[in-house]
Amino acid sequence: MKKMWLIGLNTFKESIRKKTLYIILIFALIVIGASKLFSFLTAEEELKMIKDVSFSAIEFFGALIAIFGALYAISGEIERRTIYTLVTKPIRRSDIVIGKFFGVSMIIFVNFILATIFFLGLLIFKKSPPDVEVLKTLLLIFFELILIGSITLALGTFTSDAFNIICSFFLYIVGHLTSYGKELIERAENIIVKGLADMLYTLVPNYENFNIRDKIVVGLNVSWGYVGYTILYGILYMCIALFIALYFFEKREI
Amino acid sequence: MAIIETKQLTKHYILGKKKIVVGLEKVDLEVEQGEIFGILGPNGSGKTTCLKLLLGILFPTSGEARIMGKFPDDIEMKQHVGFLPENPYYYDYLTGPELLQFYASLFSLDAGTTKKRIEQLLELVELKDAKRLTLRHYSKGMLERIGLAASLINDPEILILDEPTTGLDPIGCRDTRNLLLKLKQQGKTILLSSHFLSEVERVCDRIAIFHRGYLLATGTLDGLNRQYQAENLEDLFVKTICTFDNQASVKTGETT
Ligand SMILES: Nc1ncnc2c1ncn2[C@@H]1O[C@H](COP(=O)(O)OP(=O)(O)OP(=O)(O)O)[C@@H](O)[C@H]1O
Ligand SMILES: [Mg+2]
Repeated sequence: MKKMWLIGLNTFKESIRKKTLYIILIFALIVIGASKLFSFLTAEEELKMIKDVSFSAIEFFGALIAIFGALYAISGEIERRTIYTLVTKPIRRSDIVIGKFFGVSMIIFVNFILATIFFLGLLIFKKSPPDVEVLKTLLLIFFELILIGSITLALGTFTSDAFNIICSFFLYIVGHLTSYGKELIERAENIIVKGLADMLYTLVPNYENFNIRDKIVVGLNVSWGYVGYTILYGILYMCIALFIALYFFEKREI
Repeated sequence: MAIIETKQLTKHYILGKKKIVVGLEKVDLEVEQGEIFGILGPNGSGKTTCLKLLLGILFPTSGEARIMGKFPDDIEMKQHVGFLPENPYYYDYLTGPELLQFYASLFSLDAGTTKKRIEQLLELVELKDAKRLTLRHYSKGMLERIGLAASLINDPEILILDEPTTGLDPIGCRDTRNLLLKLKQQGKTILLSSHFLSEVERVCDRIAIFHRGYLLATGTLDGLNRQYQAENLEDLFVKTICTFDNQASVKTGETT
């Protein structure tokens, strides 16, 4: 247990010392900050704008951080062969994977919290303290980011660096388009195409489930039931990703 | 019983449907406790493959590898093994002491021991002045040195070194040689691979010569020299390898 934690901590430390993730975070903060420049809008519209832009920025830049953080964690260590020095230590391979997952989650969490604090500060500054709906939106974004990170981590256990990054972004984009995909599938005529599309639809995690910001921004409410269900959905996919990672890393020759 | 042992150890790298590269072919190797054992061989002869199989970085196609009677996935066994990879790469955003600290923690060393050892090891590999430098700014030889220090952090009973002196300056080579001899006096077992024949001649008790994945010869230097009627290690090296290649070409000549 302690060793997993050490691996995680080291992964986190790396992310702090490397500038890449910082820069992404700074971009996120700039975008959030810039959202209040639209002062020609009415106060109410401006607030909507701030929320809309900030949620999107936290989600998008968070996804970048999750993908790059997880990429460094396993793919990067294999590519740079620093992994030799871990697998030859008295630590199980499964503990390395779980430790890496801890580390990536920590990276995502800290960056997410920093961006969120900035955003909430902005809302308070605008005399519109965040309500519970804003918190629900952020909570779902956070679980989406963890899921994105675990998928990149899992891909890293059986693919190369370059392939991993392509797959991760592909899944990120497709995962957000799945609701459009469903409509297309309904209309498909060829049975095989329909079957394949159906399979893809169920396999690819539906990131759009985590997106309630469109509703929240316009003042609609989302039930806790939905939030809870979606978090469970995220945890289920995350566990699948972790099992895949554990399975492949155990057999991985480096 | 030998402290390091391989039985019919074989590794085939599968590169495509029909393309297989022989990394190691049915190698039986035995390293006794307390000796310095050197693996020699041309580039691509399977030295690194053999060491990686022993440490569980690669998995054998067939045969088995054991250290202290344990298979490579044994956690308890790894507590007593130190490893220096070929062309070592380390976490380049850490400083030397931080790197050693991290590895020490993976061996569950207590804080006092860790601190003392880091001091000693940095002194030993002469990196005391570079304490605050991150590894990204290390030279090739400095990386090799910190690698050596890292492989000793757990005061291992068994030390496995893949080309420990590649990249070191002449003084570094000499120091490493002396260090290996000192470790041997303390009763440690050392398995190393090297291209430097003179170095091997001076430190190794026994050697093995690999070629194209095959173990061609193994024994003490004197014994092998007598057996192959060689004058020195270089002569021996060339003779064993040429003999093998000639036999191989005769064989292929017969079949074609
Ligand atoms: N990951 C790999 N995939 C495919 N082939 C490999 C791989 N690693 C090694 N080989 C092949 O296995 C053979 C033995 O390689 P190995 O690295 O063990 O040689 P070596 O004796 O350490 O050589 P050197 O002296 O250059 O370090 C070579 O033919 C090499 O091409
Ligand atoms: Mg080698």
